[in-house]
Amino acid sequence: MNLIDRYVAEVGRNLPLLKGREDIEKELKSTLEDMLEDRAQKTGQARDEAMEVEVLKEYGSPQKVAATYNPHPYLIGPKMFPFYLFVLKIVLTVVVSVMLVLAGVQAVSDTPFMGADFVKIIGQGLGNALSAAIAAFGNVTLVFVILERVLPDKELGGFNDEKEWDPASLAKEPDPDSVSRSELIFEVVFTFVALAILNVYPQWLGMFFFTGDEQVFIPMFTEKFFQFVPWINITLVAQILLDIYLLRNAIWNMPARIFKILIEAASLILTVIIFRTPGIIGFSAESFANGPFQPEQAEVFMTIATYMFPVIMAIIIIIQSIELVKAVYRLFKTSLKTK
Amino acid sequence: MANTESLENVVLELRRGVIVLAALSQLGTPEYGYSLLKKLSDLGLEVDQGTLYPLLRRLEAQGLLESVWKLEEARPRRYYVISAEGKKLLPKMKKEWAGIVSVMDKMLS
Repeated sequence: MNLIDRYVAEVGRNLPLLKGREDIEKELKSTLEDMLEDRAQKTGQARDEAMEVEVLKEYGSPQKVAATYNPHPYLIGPKMFPFYLFVLKIVLTVVVSVMLVLAGVQAVSDTPFMGADFVKIIGQGLGNALSAAIAAFGNVTLVFVILERVLPDKELGGFNDEKEWDPASLAKEPDPDSVSRSELIFEVVFTFVALAILNVYPQWLGMFFFTGDEQVFIPMFTEKFFQFVPWINITLVAQILLDIYLLRNAIWNMPARIFKILIEAASLILTVIIFRTPGIIGFSAESFANGPFQPEQAEVFMTIATYMFPVIMAIIIIIQSIELVKAVYRLFKTSLKTK
Repeated sequence: MANTESLENVVLELRRGVIVLAALSQLGTPEYGYSLLKKLSDLGLEVDQGTLYPLLRRLEAQGLLESVWKLEEARPRRYYVISAEGKKLLPKMKKEWAGIVSVMDKMLS
């Protein structure tokens, strides 16, 4: 292998793209031969290694030459970057919130008191949230790095909706009918988590106590409550379907508003019915007595549970009522606007 | 120092902008990379090799140029020539260029 061949091979090794590598090498060799021939003619000297060295020095280091052929000096290019940031923000927010909520639930349900265990679980939860965030960041970035290299340039342009953007839309802001994507995605994720807990992990709904080696679980709800789960499922699935529709449609319309009102009304009615059904709460004096409590402590817990249940239900009913009123109000606004 | 650097950057940007037009305008007849480089140089436009060759490949990928390997003097050479699409675009580019020149002339005189 002579100097030129070694140089060309070195450039080839540094080329970032496999496709077209041979072609680039061939063209580079051809060019260098042309330069050498040209130089020999001009100087009237025979081609020798000194001349080759001179020409190669002029041409530049193999790394530098290879870099000029790199169409993607970016990990994620400027066209893709705004979309990348958009997705990254959503994913990180959702991942971190879910991890923190899980840590909170675990801390509250696994440890009866604000002790060292409680602090430990919260600390672990924060650590888990951080590592989950880093993993999510890495995964999202990796997906975009691949997309950047796989999608043709024209497709990339699609992420820039500058052409479709109408400055007139600025005047209309804030449009009451525009949807908040991040809110919707949040709602989908949390509704999904609620579905999963209700149907797959109902054993999480309760309190865990440790008495020595033995683990005692006191369920929050009785079988009576779980009769309502199919109905709750219907409202949750309807909510997810509506959110997905809104994510695609990007704007509230009359059918979506009406559907939203139906869901809110159904949830409200369902909550009231559940609230009025006697004996759906699993906490009772007996169940607490099974735990690691003295009878007096069990009494205290029982009292708290008895008072808390109506308060929590009342808060849920109030929130749902407000949501229902808001949904109806917005329906009227939408219908006024379309008129 | 900073001033020389700014000047160099501006000159580099200006040149980068015209090289596409220069290359397309000279590829009515097939040329290989090195011959085009010399042709441009003879006409007074010095272009860095590291700029021209990747640019030719990019223009080919965009469909503005076509290329073919030819075996000459026991050496294969890749000849580039303007494509039908490039021919359609070139007059529009020339018009744009003329517009820029006349505007800048007015501004700078």
